[in-house]
Amino acid sequence: MVAADSRASMGGYISSQSVKKIIEINPYMLGTMAGGAADCQFWHRNLGIKCRLHELANKRRISVTGASKLLANILYSYRGMGLSVGTMIAGWDEKGPGLYYVDSEGGRLKGTKFSVGSGSPYAYGVLDSGYHYDMTIDEAAELARRSIYHATFRDGASGGVASVYHVGPTGWTKLSGDDVGELHYSYYPVEPAIVEQEMTEAVVA
Amino acid sequence: MGRSFTDTVYDMGDSQYSFSLTTFSPSGKLVQIEHALTAVGSGQTSLGIKASNGVVIATEKKLPSILVDETSVQKIQILTPNIGVVYSGMGPDSRVLVRKSRKQAEQYNRLYKEPIPVTQLVRETAAVMQEFTQSGGVRPFGVSLLVAGFDDKGPQLYQVDPSGSYFSWKASAMGKNVSNAKTFLEKRYTDDMELEDAIHTAILTLKEGFEGQISGKNIEIGVIEADKTFRVLTAAQIEDYLQEVE
Amino acid sequence: MSIFEYNGSALVAMVGKNCFAIASDRRLGVQLQTIATDFQRIFKIHDKLFLGLSGLGSDAQTLYQRLVFRHKLYQLREERDMKPETFASLVSAILYEKRFGPYFCQPVIAGLGDDDKPFICTMDSIGAKELAKDFVVAGTASESLYGACESMFKPDMEHEELFETISQALLSSVDRDCLSGWGGHVYVVTPSEVTERILKGRMD
Repeated sequence: MVAADSRASMGGYISSQSVKKIIEINPYMLGTMAGGAADCQFWHRNLGIKCRLHELANKRRISVTGASKLLANILYSYRGMGLSVGTMIAGWDEKGPGLYYVDSEGGRLKGTKFSVGSGSPYAYGVLDSGYHYDMTIDEAAELARRSIYHATFRDGASGGVASVYHVGPTGWTKLSGDDVGELHYSYYPVEPAIVEQEMTEAVVA
Repeated sequence: MGRSFTDTVYDMGDSQYSFSLTTFSPSGKLVQIEHALTAVGSGQTSLGIKASNGVVIATEKKLPSILVDETSVQKIQILTPNIGVVYSGMGPDSRVLVRKSRKQAEQYNRLYKEPIPVTQLVRETAAVMQEFTQSGGVRPFGVSLLVAGFDDKGPQLYQVDPSGSYFSWKASAMGKNVSNAKTFLEKRYTDDMELEDAIHTAILTLKEGFEGQISGKNIEIGVIEADKTFRVLTAAQIEDYLQEVE
Repeated sequence: MSIFEYNGSALVAMVGKNCFAIASDRRLGVQLQTIATDFQRIFKIHDKLFLGLSGLGSDAQTLYQRLVFRHKLYQLREERDMKPETFASLVSAILYEKRFGPYFCQPVIAGLGDDDKPFICTMDSIGAKELAKDFVVAGTASESLYGACESMFKPDMEHEELFETISQALLSSVDRDCLSGWGGHVYVVTPSEVTERILKGRMD
C-alpha cells in the first residue's frame, strides 16, 4: 500500500495542491516523493529509464531490491552536493512484495512500513498504532489514507488530496484519491450547533 | 545585619525631615489649607458664568503701581485651544499649575490624538493641587482656579480650590469680593442665559465691587463658545462691552 | 525564520455600508506543526470596536490584556467608550513604547465611530498607523489576502454580502498559506448588532 498527499510548498507559500507525489516507475513499481520536487521527479524518471533498460537487457523485470539500490547508488554519488530526496520504492517482483526507503544522504532500508517527509511523524503515529500484519486490502487502504489525513491535519506543509495505491502481483492500481478538505468532515462531522454560537465575552487568558 | 545599620540611619533621615507640612490640627482641620484659602480670599476677584451657548470668565487686573505696563500682565490663560483658566490668589502659584495643566493636556493629546475633555483636565489639575496638600517639602497652592471650556459635552465651568476639591458651577466667584459677587450672580443668573448676556452680567458683577473706575485695561475677560476656541478679549473689545452695560 | 511567522495567522477587516467585518483564521502552530485550531486572534474591546492581532500568539494575548486594561481604565475615568481612532492612537503609543524590543504583532483595528461611521486600520509592530477606506490585511497569509481582497472587494456592501465576501477572501487566501487556516472566525458589526460566525474550512 502506498499513500501520499499532494501539496507542494515554497517556504510558507503553497505552490500547488495537486502534485502527483506517487510516481509510477513502471506498471509494477511505484516511487514516492518527498524533499526537493525537481530532484525526486528527475531521479525517478531516470530510475524508470534504467529499469526499462535492465528489462530489455535481461529479458525480465528488475527486482525492487535492484531498482532501489540503483537509485541509492546514484544518490550516494551526489552526496553532499545538495540533492534532497526522501523516497520509498514499492513494487512487486519475483520474490513478492518489496518496500525500500531511500534518501539523498545515501540511506537505503528494507522494511514493512515507512513514512517519509515533513508530515511523516504524524503519519507514523497513526500507522504504528493501527498496523497489524494480516490486514485486508481495505483495512490497509483505510489505515494509509487515515495516516495521510492526520499528517495533513497537523503538518502545515502537507495537504491537498490523499492518494492511495495498492501494489499486487498484477502490478499497481490506484484505489482512491480524496480531498482531505472533505475527508476531515467525513471523519469528524461538525454538529451544526458549533457552527453558529452566541457572542460571548472574550476569554481572558 | 552589617548593612542594616546604614539602612536604618538612612531611613531615619528620610522620615524625620520629610513630614508633610500640612498636618491635621486636633479639631480635624488642615490649617495650611485654611491659610491657602485665606490667600485666595484676599486675592483679586474673579468670576465665571456658564451660559447656554458658552462660558465667560472674568477677573480684576489691579496692578501694584501705575508704572507697571498693564499689557505685560495676562491673568486669564489658555490651557488648550478650547479651555481657558483664571485664578484668584497668588500669581506665581497659578503659573505652576498652568504649566502642569498644559503639559497634562498635551500628554493626553499625544496619547489619544484627541483634545482632552474639560473634566479630565480639571481632574488632573485638581489631583496636582491635592498632592501638594499631602507631599513632603511643599505647601498648598495659594490659588483657586476657574476653568472654562467647551467640548463634546457642551459649555463647562469648574472651580478648583487649594485642597484639590472641584465642582462644576453655573456661575461662581472667588477672591476679595466673593460673597457680594456670588449674591449678585445668584440674583442675575438664569438657566437660559446666553453668552452675550452672561458677559454683561460678568462685567456688572465685577463693577459692583470695583474700587475705582473700571476700564478695558483693569479687567480681563475670556470667553468660549460653540466654535470651541477660547479667546481672551482685547482691551478695546472690553471697552465696547463696557459701553453696552452703561 | 521570522518570529512573526512562528505561529502563523491570517487577519482581514473590510468596510461595508454603515458596517464592517473583521475575520481571522483559527490556527495556532509552532512553525509547520499545528497545535490548536480554535485559537482566538480577534478581540472585542466594546460593542462597536474590535481588535485583531496577527503575529506571535503570546504577544497577541499579552498586548490584548494590556489594551483591555487601558480601555477599562479609560471607561472608568471618562465614562464613555473609546472611539476607534482614539483606540488606534493608544495602540500605536503602546507599541512604540517598545520600539527597541517590540511586540511581534501586527494589529488590525476595526470599529464604528461617531454616527456609526466605519473605521479600519492596521499598523506595524512599532505602531506606524496605516488607515484604509476599503480593507486591511495582516499575518502570514497577507500577500494572498491582498490579492483576494483586491479582486473581491466592492465599496458599500450591505452586511450580508460583506460577510460572504470577507469569508471567501479569507478561506481562499489561507488555502495558499501553510501556516494559517484550519477554519475561520468572522465578526460582522452593524450599528444595531454584532454577528459572530465560525467558518468551516479546509483542515490541511
